[in-house]
Amino acid sequence: MNCNLFFARLPFLKHNGLSLLTLLILAVLLNLPATGVGAVQATAQADLTDMDPMPQHGQQAEQQTPQHQHDHSNQSMPNNEVGIDEKIGAFIPLDLSFLDENGESVTLRELITGPTIIAPVYYSCPNVCAFLQADLARNLPAIKLQPGQDYRVLSISFDERDTPAAARAARKTYLTAMGQPFPEQGWRFLTGEADASRALTEAAGYRYLRQGNDFLHPVVIFVVTGEGRIVRYLHGTRMLPMDLTLALTEAREGRLGSTIRKVVRFCFSYDSQQKHYVFNLLRIAATVILVTAGGFLLFLFISGRKR
Amino acid sequence: MAKQNNRGFLQASDRQPLLFDWIFSVDHKRIGLLYLYSVGSFFLAGVLLGLLIRLELIAPGPTIATAQTYNALFTLHGVVMIFLFIIPGIPGAFGNIMLPLQIGAQDVAFPRLNLLSWWLYILGAFMALTSLFSGGGPPDTGWTFYVPFSSETPTNVSLALLAVFVIGFSSILTGVNFVTTIHRLRAPGMHWGRLPLFIWSLYATAWVQILATPVLGITVVLVMVERLIGFGLFDPARGGDPILYQHLFWIYSHPAVYIMVLPAMGVVSEIIPVFSRKPTFGYKAIAASSVAIAAAGSLVWGHHMFVSGMSDTAILVFSLLTFLVAIPSAVKVFNWVATLYRGSISLDPPMLFALTFVFLFSIGGLTGLILGSASTNMHVHDTHFVVGHFHYVMFGGTGFAFFAALHYWLPKVFGRLYNMKVATTAWAIIFVGFNLLYFPMMLVGLHGMPRRYYDYLPQFQNLNVISTVGSWVLATGLLLMFVNLYRGMRVGAAAGSNPWQAATLEWIVTSPPPTDNFTHPPQVTHEPYDLEQAGKP
Repeated sequence: MNCNLFFARLPFLKHNGLSLLTLLILAVLLNLPATGVGAVQATAQADLTDMDPMPQHGQQAEQQTPQHQHDHSNQSMPNNEVGIDEKIGAFIPLDLSFLDENGESVTLRELITGPTIIAPVYYSCPNVCAFLQADLARNLPAIKLQPGQDYRVLSISFDERDTPAAARAARKTYLTAMGQPFPEQGWRFLTGEADASRALTEAAGYRYLRQGNDFLHPVVIFVVTGEGRIVRYLHGTRMLPMDLTLALTEAREGRLGSTIRKVVRFCFSYDSQQKHYVFNLLRIAATVILVTAGGFLLFLFISGRKR
Repeated sequence: MAKQNNRGFLQASDRQPLLFDWIFSVDHKRIGLLYLYSVGSFFLAGVLLGLLIRLELIAPGPTIATAQTYNALFTLHGVVMIFLFIIPGIPGAFGNIMLPLQIGAQDVAFPRLNLLSWWLYILGAFMALTSLFSGGGPPDTGWTFYVPFSSETPTNVSLALLAVFVIGFSSILTGVNFVTTIHRLRAPGMHWGRLPLFIWSLYATAWVQILATPVLGITVVLVMVERLIGFGLFDPARGGDPILYQHLFWIYSHPAVYIMVLPAMGVVSEIIPVFSRKPTFGYKAIAASSVAIAAAGSLVWGHHMFVSGMSDTAILVFSLLTFLVAIPSAVKVFNWVATLYRGSISLDPPMLFALTFVFLFSIGGLTGLILGSASTNMHVHDTHFVVGHFHYVMFGGTGFAFFAALHYWLPKVFGRLYNMKVATTAWAIIFVGFNLLYFPMMLVGLHGMPRRYYDYLPQFQNLNVISTVGSWVLATGLLLMFVNLYRGMRVGAAAGSNPWQAATLEWIVTSPPPTDNFTHPPQVTHEPYDLEQAGKP
């Protein structure tokens, strides 16, 4: 039963035969079988639910898609091998060299000349990397800063099998997706050796794991200053232009931020049976309150004024 | 007329030390003053915290506080202002003092319970303050204590929740006491149609306190259980639901908004007819609208959760119900305006504050409709627009009504008048400062500045600077007002028993009122706003 429908119907006065004691025992039982697989990872200043306006049903539905195995570490897969350790304030090595879209060698030092958004991806990624970059493509035009001058975006592949041709294709895809002119210098797509990408991701605390042709990896981008210092991580495939701008502003001023919003993707199995008991508990409580207050009012009217 | 040497209930007894004489008194007027002094102190503390918040926001980036400090600051500001000032403010202070006087009773129905309420309130306040300096540091969740953050943060949320729980009990006991008093202790001739409108608003408020506060109690207990023994009620990983918390919390906390604003409306309904020299227009409509606001207001909590994940049906229903609350609120506003119409209006300080209430509350109410309709809510949700809106309602509304009540009733309580010119000047400064402080918040919110961040984008700075300067103006005005009131109560001119020529019962006794209020139960012979009968029971 959907909790929201429950409340919309306001069934306060429905009586329930179970005694309070039984309910308490059931509530204790609630604690025991931990059947859920996912976990909420929200530890931001903002409220959990304000971050992600997508209705809950949608989130439950998403669980069915293959997407969720990419999402987060703390599900079935090796916990400590995939994930993100935020290293705000740390420096990434700028001497690493990668291949640009034309197959020419380029070092990070040449590209990171100011605030830079770095998106660790791989170009054959079946979905989340595409979502991540599509979201960037949607939000970048809303940022009131000059791409290529005030800031730059780097998509960097951690799949050593990716080729500059794939990077070129990705550039075409996302720059076209923006629907408006965006300088090619503003968003670069890099590929490179396993050593280089490994060194970069380790410096940023980004841990991924190869599974055949695909990867388990966190969905996160981070923003560095012109000196390569990490100022902020932005999680998830839905970011806001304001968060991006704020992170870039901090990077320009060399200030360190903190993570505003971590992705809130509910991946949980839903035990309607257990939920039922919790609702019964609330129903009983509501009934007790209303009956007591009603009895009080009745008593006052019957007893009338004090003589 | 009052004799100058007659200090009424303020007269110290020689039986025990002065302090004990007050903190163990069961006299409703003394308990009311205890409330007045405590809520006044917490108000000043809240103002200081608010000034710090504004100072931090004068420029982007860390100005005087880090992110963590800022989170603690706005949490404290919210907890102190909501739970320690606005909720107990008008009912606890002026409700206690005026309720028995206005209905011709000697005291409330349960004087000892009344004292217990104040003690619970002080105990809760003490615990809330302790939570700042103990455990993992001051809570940083915002006054709403949303899970899952509140069930995980290492700060001292548990103690703060316990404090809220205890203060909730204080609130319930006050509600039970008031309801019983109004039902059972009315003087002969004081039938329901002759109850002053302030009493009607207290009555409606008391029912909300009785019905809604237990839900808050249950909710904070659930969060404490979650924190201390990991129950998993709000943890999706174990079949719980964080949205459940929001429902439970707002089932109390939205009606609590009406606990805050209904007594304020009652105060305004008292003042406007007296200073218009006209019986109030639509007495029954105003009385009924208090009850209607309390009833409808209990069913609208979901409008805080439009972006939290609710079915579209639920959003539609909650949005509709929210719009319905505007009807009884507007009924009040129109009746006040109709009372003013062709009245002989005198702009004494109580009236200035009461009229400001109507103006600012209207702005707050109308911006509330922007938030209450689901589509515009999506745009401004969790922006500074919301902050501006609720400060217009809570401070522009309840705060100004509290000041109006201070200027209206303190001459009765202490038997002395304050300096009218200074009071008027203070009002003008407060009015200007208030609008400078809060109006830019709504603008900057429309531009997209989110709430609860210590930092913002550079393009928001101008409006934030105006707002911060407004906070200084406002604080100056408040300081002037409180000093003037304090001086007035100490050394002001004698007020006489009825300085405003009002017709409700509290004005027929001496100022300050005698300990037993009325020597004989008065036989009430006229309506509360029949001003030609002023001075008669």
